[in-house]
Amino acid sequence: MAGVLEAQALAPAAFSRIANTYLQWCSDALGTSALERAVDAFADFSSAVNLAQGRYELAGHYEHKSYDECRRSVYDDHASMTDYLWGVYLSNFLWAHHLELMIFFEERFLSKVMPGARIVEIAPGHGGWGLWALNATTDTRLTGYDISATSKAIATRLAVAADLSDRADYVRRDALQLSAEPSPQAQVCICCFLVEHLEQPSQLLDTISHVLAPAGYAFFTGALTAAQIDHIYEFRCESELVLLGEQAGLRTLETRSVSPNRRLKNAKFLPRSMALVMQKRTSANW
Amino acid sequence: MVDLTREITDVFRSVFEDDDLIVTRETTAADVSGWDSLQHVTLVLSVEARFGIRFSSSEVSSLRSVGELMDIVERRLNRQ
Repeated sequence: MAGVLEAQALAPAAFSRIANTYLQWCSDALGTSALERAVDAFADFSSAVNLAQGRYELAGHYEHKSYDECRRSVYDDHASMTDYLWGVYLSNFLWAHHLELMIFFEERFLSKVMPGARIVEIAPGHGGWGLWALNATTDTRLTGYDISATSKAIATRLAVAADLSDRADYVRRDALQLSAEPSPQAQVCICCFLVEHLEQPSQLLDTISHVLAPAGYAFFTGALTAAQIDHIYEFRCESELVLLGEQAGLRTLETRSVSPNRRLKNAKFLPRSMALVMQKRTSANW
Repeated sequence: MVDLTREITDVFRSVFEDDDLIVTRETTAADVSGWDSLQHVTLVLSVEARFGIRFSSSEVSSLRSVGELMDIVERRLNRQ
């Protein structure tokens, strides 16, 4: 509860606006009676994150090293995935530092999304980020690619609840395979909090670059020294994400690195979430 | 034979830095100053270290009293 009050105090008007919309979408997608389950899922998710961070502090490294380990313990369990995604969905505004990222997304990225733009969302998860972009822009269309059937189901329900289903299409597939096909030449790509779940992060940045048209914009987020049960790649410095982008032909225009105000006692690690607004270069030279 | 109440009390006193702290099965977070969500993690990890056990994520988030904590520890110890 302390964390939620902190989010509300950080930016009361933005918190109220985002919370009202997010909760309305959630309620319309699940039914009012199921909202309580989503809130419980958020509480459980927050508790799990704190526990993972505590284990990380003791061990000095993330618990899992491979995607297969995570798939067995997390992704293959549909009920767990459903609660996990709703928990993540609510954390977008109930965690103060993630509310900061939502505000950054609105203020520093959405203005770059032109009317009529084609948006590709990689690993939409609950779908909240992409739907927020659609909701704030005109005549834009989004295709989301996620490896999880649960994600596709939830994102699709949310799109209906948000009255955006005519502009959002979700496809179940491994988005990293998009690099093997002709580029959709999207004007915009959104990819939030996937990179730390991958064994080879560079593949993701290459994919983001591939799906974009030259000069296209990407909104990309990642976690640094922030543990979750299914985080694999341990980023330690903000510059690592910037460099990954550059290596894939993406220039970083703006960044925002945020961390929770409250931490475990005597913590060695500062858990951070970082957002980058990037642009694909238009020629071989920057 | 493990004196569970004494061991758990020791852990609580260490985590909350209060040598006079007394906990019972009915003790909840509302009864202990500083027992917030983050100290809850420190407490759980300290109990794990003390007894050589591991809590699941769902057990940690659903704990509501010292009694429930002790019950889980007892079940784990009996399994070993």
